[in-house]
Amino acid sequence: MAHPIIRFSHATFGFPGVVALEDITLEISEGEFVGVIGPNGSGKTTLCRAILGLMPPFAGGLQIFDCACQELRCHHRARIGYLPQKDALDRHFPITVLEAVMMGRYGALGLFTRPSKQDREIALHALENVGMQEHSKTALGHLSGGQQQRVFIARALAQQPQVLLLDEPTTGIDITTQASVLDLVQRLHRDMGLTVLLVTHDINMIRERVNRLVLLKTRLYAAGPPAEVLRPDILREVYGKDLVITEKDLIIVEDYHHHHH
Amino acid sequence: MLELLSYDFMQRSLAAAMLVGAVCSAIGVFVVLRGLAFIGAGTAHAAFAGVALAYLMGWPPLAVAIVFGLATVWITGLMEEQGRMKLDVSIGILYTATMALAILFLGLMKTYNAEVYGYLFGSVLSVTAGELRIIAVLGFCVAGALLIFSKELYFIAFDQEMAEASGVPARRIFYLLLTLVAVTVVVSLKTVGAILVFAMVLIPASTAYQLTHSLAQMTTLSVVIGTLCAAGGVLLSSAWDLPSGPAIVLLATAVFFLSVLFSPKRLRRAPAH
Repeated sequence: MAHPIIRFSHATFGFPGVVALEDITLEISEGEFVGVIGPNGSGKTTLCRAILGLMPPFAGGLQIFDCACQELRCHHRARIGYLPQKDALDRHFPITVLEAVMMGRYGALGLFTRPSKQDREIALHALENVGMQEHSKTALGHLSGGQQQRVFIARALAQQPQVLLLDEPTTGIDITTQASVLDLVQRLHRDMGLTVLLVTHDINMIRERVNRLVLLKTRLYAAGPPAEVLRPDILREVYGKDLVITEKDLIIVEDYHHHHH
Repeated sequence: MLELLSYDFMQRSLAAAMLVGAVCSAIGVFVVLRGLAFIGAGTAHAAFAGVALAYLMGWPPLAVAIVFGLATVWITGLMEEQGRMKLDVSIGILYTATMALAILFLGLMKTYNAEVYGYLFGSVLSVTAGELRIIAVLGFCVAGALLIFSKELYFIAFDQEMAEASGVPARRIFYLLLTLVAVTVVVSLKTVGAILVFAMVLIPASTAYQLTHSLAQMTTLSVVIGTLCAAGGVLLSSAWDLPSGPAIVLLATAVFFLSVLFSPKRLRRAPAH
């Protein structure tokens, strides 16, 4: 197996008085495409924040790039391209597509360094990678939801990351666009050798695309190839009566609310 | 009007107003985009309380104003971070409490002090050469910091959490911005006054916001509008013998409403999803 770059060992995370993730032991290797699933409030976003070093564990340990997450410095974070859950973007915020993508360069550049021509080329190349190069001068607010997600993926790519961390990248965009965003992520994983962690509530959309699924509900219920994780008994234990498995093996989780943390 | 420009005091007040206009409108871009308008307004009142205390005790007014201003922005910054109380409520309390302090200090002075009221309402035409030098030095410090950290400041204005996640020291930059806001407010007190100073921060940036879809353009436009309105206001006030602070602010407000009328953003419909 390839070298693990993210290593949770019995790690517990949370906020004062609330445990969001408990006793997580998990290794993610270089070049893997991992899907993270679980019901509302199961700690999926907490997992992302932990990997970004924004939330040190209460107990246990988390190592990222062979570095304890508490010691994660800015230049480490710059190696993780992050797409947060989509908030409603202020449509009038005065920023062009290229200006937004250029921001991906800022962490790696550090303070006191101005973006160079080369940084601009990296940003333009990232836009090309997501098929948005003609929109570089367009106002970000004028794009559709799916196009904005592509731009934010380009911003993550402009960091020239080793890891791509995507939190619900398909929420709030229409069904056909959802598939094309996931196709794009799959292509980036394949062509650029990126390690991808994709958090989603849509199990059917990603089960064919990932190497491994991680099923969370505060604790880690299962981690492994999709066929091993998506067993009715395991799913029923995690989702309870919200779960419907159809004859065509479609997994439907009812009562899903989009706002979860 | 040209004749007026040959007077020393007029040249000084024009220079002071244009410097303040430029610095206020440059920092205003980040204040407007990061949603800190109310924090700044509170800071202006706190700084005035500092001035009043300084006159009461015989201390240097600008230094005390800076201490009061910094204390206010840092406390409100901490409150915003911790999110224990709604920000508008906590600033509202600080805002009125510092104003109460100012009124208390004024009351304790027993005698009417016109200079103190100059800081409340602004008196650009009475700016001395020494004050102009202080405005210039502090103004260049603020402008320099904005230039040096512009990329980080834009990033936290757009999305502070994202900035932090991608390796920008977002928290430190946020406090730098708050500090610059406090210094800018204090620098501008003498020119436009505590009550109106925040108009100079908000209005040119909000006007530029109406007119463009690019961060770089918004900044340039804001500085141009702020500087021209400040110069225009001073000229109007001396030509028609009007108080200078209101002349500057009302001119900027008129330009703002024109920009709203002709904003390309208003004319464009929402995109389809």
